[in-house]
Amino acid sequence: MSSRGEPVKLRLLAGVSVLVMTAGLSACSDSSDSSGDGSSGGRTTIDVWLMRDSVSAEFQKEFVAGFEADHPDIDVKVQVQEWDGIGQKVTAALASNDAPDVIETGNTQVAQYAQSGGLLDFSDKVADLGGKDWLKGLAEPGAYQGKQYGIPYYAANRVVIYRTDLFDKAGVDPAAIKTRDQWIDATKKLNKGGTQGIYLPGQMWYALAGFVWDEGGELATESGGTWKGALDSPEALRGMEFYQRLQALGKGPRDSDEAEPPQAEVMAKGQVAQVISTPGGAQVVVENNPELKGKLGFFPIPGKTADTPGAVFTGGSDLVVPMVSTKQDAAYTFIKELTGDAWQKKLAVAMSYVPNKTTLADAVAADPGAAAMAVGAAVGRATPNTPGWAAVEAKNPIKDYMTAVLTGGDAADQAATASEAITTAMKSGS
Amino acid sequence: MTTTRPRIRRLPLNAAAVITVVVCLFPVYWMATTAFKPGRDIQSDNPALLPRTWTLDHFRAAVDADGFGLFWRNSILVTLTAVLLSLLVALGAAFAVARMRWRGRRQFMLMVFIAQMAPWESLIIPVYIISRDTHMLDRLPTLTLVYFMMTLPFTIVVLRGFIGTIPPELEESAQVDGCTRLGAFRHVAFPLLAPGLMATSLFGYITAWNEFTYANFLIIKQQDNRTLPVWLSSFQNVFGTDWGATMAASTLFAVPALVVFLLLQRHVTSGFAAGAVKG
Amino acid sequence: MPATHERTANRPLTTRPKRRSTGPAAREPHRPRHTRRADGRGPWPYLLIAPAVLGMLYLLVYPLARTVLISFQDFGLRELILGDPKFVGFDNYRTLLSDPRFWEVVGRTFFFMAVNVVLIMTLSTLVALMIERLGRFGRTAVLSALVLTWAMPVIAATTVFQWLFHSEFGIVNWALKELGFSSFDRYPWFAHGPAAFTILVVLVVWQSVPFAAITLYSALTTVPTELYESARLDGASGPRIFRSITFPVVRPIFMLVLSLEVIWTFKAFVQIWVTTNGGPGDATTILPVYAVQMALSSQRYDLGSAASLVTVLLMSGVLVLYFRQMFRQEDEAS
Repeated sequence: MSSRGEPVKLRLLAGVSVLVMTAGLSACSDSSDSSGDGSSGGRTTIDVWLMRDSVSAEFQKEFVAGFEADHPDIDVKVQVQEWDGIGQKVTAALASNDAPDVIETGNTQVAQYAQSGGLLDFSDKVADLGGKDWLKGLAEPGAYQGKQYGIPYYAANRVVIYRTDLFDKAGVDPAAIKTRDQWIDATKKLNKGGTQGIYLPGQMWYALAGFVWDEGGELATESGGTWKGALDSPEALRGMEFYQRLQALGKGPRDSDEAEPPQAEVMAKGQVAQVISTPGGAQVVVENNPELKGKLGFFPIPGKTADTPGAVFTGGSDLVVPMVSTKQDAAYTFIKELTGDAWQKKLAVAMSYVPNKTTLADAVAADPGAAAMAVGAAVGRATPNTPGWAAVEAKNPIKDYMTAVLTGGDAADQAATASEAITTAMKSGS
Repeated sequence: MTTTRPRIRRLPLNAAAVITVVVCLFPVYWMATTAFKPGRDIQSDNPALLPRTWTLDHFRAAVDADGFGLFWRNSILVTLTAVLLSLLVALGAAFAVARMRWRGRRQFMLMVFIAQMAPWESLIIPVYIISRDTHMLDRLPTLTLVYFMMTLPFTIVVLRGFIGTIPPELEESAQVDGCTRLGAFRHVAFPLLAPGLMATSLFGYITAWNEFTYANFLIIKQQDNRTLPVWLSSFQNVFGTDWGATMAASTLFAVPALVVFLLLQRHVTSGFAAGAVKG
Repeated sequence: MPATHERTANRPLTTRPKRRSTGPAAREPHRPRHTRRADGRGPWPYLLIAPAVLGMLYLLVYPLARTVLISFQDFGLRELILGDPKFVGFDNYRTLLSDPRFWEVVGRTFFFMAVNVVLIMTLSTLVALMIERLGRFGRTAVLSALVLTWAMPVIAATTVFQWLFHSEFGIVNWALKELGFSSFDRYPWFAHGPAAFTILVVLVVWQSVPFAAITLYSALTTVPTELYESARLDGASGPRIFRSITFPVVRPIFMLVLSLEVIWTFKAFVQIWVTTNGGPGDATTILPVYAVQMALSSQRYDLGSAASLVTVLLMSGVLVLYFRQMFRQEDEAS
């Protein structure tokens, strides 16, 4: 393993400027970089990993063409990664001698990679990238122990997607739904005959997290450096109670999450009045059932009171650069461009995302889905920012807890069990 | 004997056969029909045994996926090489163990059995480190060697078992007739080994063909070197999995196994027909 | 073919010297054969096993040694990326063995293995016997069905099983409801530990029977038909023929399949990982799942390695009986 440690340490000492030297050190495995005409004539090819369907093929093409036109010395080779097994894949890449130069990673995943020392520290570049306006839900999870490793890329959070025609038929005005109680009443009205008021699968734990936060509860709390599961607090239990009431107003399976079966496909069948999803889900519904085109609307998840919208989990991605990348300057140029204002606006419009800066929110004002999302994004939250959280998600005792309660288990007992499981997982993972 | 009696006697047997086929094939059938169902019918309140409407969209999506041809080429290359290599190596070792007496034979068999128990899930980290330090990451030969080693112990053990059931007298009589030791083995014992070879090569094929974790972990940056299981998992996005396309891909994915089996089976039956067994 | 006759006569002796019906005296005349075959001295056997040994040394023993090393180090994601792990002695084993959860997992692993192996061996023996009695068409049909089952990609198989037992859309709940068991309306199979465990057993058995049945059937085809005929002429009953003729011949292969199934069900992982992730709670967490939870999710490669090595030790413990029997058999054969 000593042959491993050396290049990294050298780079730590000498900094980014001695690219030539480090490139020399790992040259033996660099054959892959030649891919085409890339490395000749002073041009640099950078490998960029983006996630499957995180941006559309058209946007990717447009951006790469635009970027290469502005930076004739850099070639961009985008590789689309699959979601299945991505954690291991990124781990393998960070530990290799020949890593990609830019990696898109989930905002909550950055901490564990940062802790391992495999990521490049961008702290001195934050000002240059306009970091003061970044969305907190992306920037905070991208930082670890005061240093910025992940650069906010885009965000998306959950809203309610509803069927305009079914709401009309039931005489429900979506604009009037401002509190949870109103939401429940409206859903009850919709949940009649063959129609499900809401399709809420039993294990959509991000939605539960929102309800828990609304009540003032937490998934886990820290004291003195140790984390403890907190689902058994009275606040968190009230969040679960609300979830249970809402879930009963439809036929969502109590033992699976929104991906199993994909809820967009369920909604496409036409009997579901509402789902909780990122706005992009609406597009999938229409793809599966073109008859629903124009019949889908969006509103933010209602909060406890009319003056605050419901808290939501800010999902999204950050961009990171592996320590072992040999083209860190070019990688930085790429990141600066993609997370810069011009392309962020285009990206947000193209994909219905929340742009990475609060100042850019207007860009999506015309998009009803993104507009509904932006309301929630203002009170967006993230999961506990600690490397141990990844271990919780891997096993996910929260899902077991939800199913147990929904199938008749005692909420307090189950919450205590789940909190203990979270505590154990966070301890083992840190 | 009347003609009806054996038929009645065979009734329970045939019923058992039908039940076996149905139980075995029902999930396979479900996979295949799902591939023809439109997305929103795949999981439905009232499941249908036959698709209500048929669609080829999923197969189209599966075949249109990036790198489809490359994945097949890589998988075939890796699988065939690994299986042939392990058959060759195992045949020699199994012959030595089953037919010859030598010092260290026991230790060798013990080693093979322990190899059979190897915890491959945990070996992935050391295998990764070793490949990295020898600059073998991102290369198909690395995967081939791993699959070779995954199937080798099994192949040795099973072939040894099969060679053990072939009486040495068969070869000895051939040796008397002027064949060399190896020649006797090739002409006399080898055809009898056909069922064993079939079982082991099918096993090797299915193991290597399906393996995902190592393919995902050892092939990092060279996307052109990815194999088919990666393709199978490529129909997932943030909104869930496109199960129609996954099932279409799985169906295409399982077909070669059946072809391999049908090809091998002909040889097996011809081996029997040679009279050695039924005699 | 002259060989056939000789083969028929010797069959039970060569395969199973210990428990054959003809009595110990019958072995003596064949002693000379074995001494004649002791010609394996010299370089030949070593040359024949050399590729296998070299391959195993580099591709298995060496990584295994590294695993042992990792299990004595503090080895997480950081050490994987930066190198320089610290040596911590038996700390990982201490952590592991003092975790009450670990011992629950060990117990569950043995239970899971036992249930699966018994079911697999019983069913596959029955299926193999059945195939042997079928006509040409039936045989090809059943064998093809088995091969397709075996070849179905694990991801597809596990997904289909999840669908079949899905609480809302599963055909199993639908069928049970139609049959009048209304308590199964929306029954969440995967939310109940024992139910989830049962489904996994069904899945693993379903996936394992094809290999075992095909292999056992292959072994059955080597039982000479003359033996059956003469036994039948003697008026032996079906079960008796199986006990005294069929089983002794296929016994080595049967034991082999048995030991392989012990190993494989002990190591069953993908099905469980994809279907239940070890849940609900820990209800379906067996050792390999536990090891991977440690290694890949918590990024504690050290604990994961230690758990795997303990698994191998436990497995060897189960199989020690098989080894002893195998060696005893070898001793008698040589």
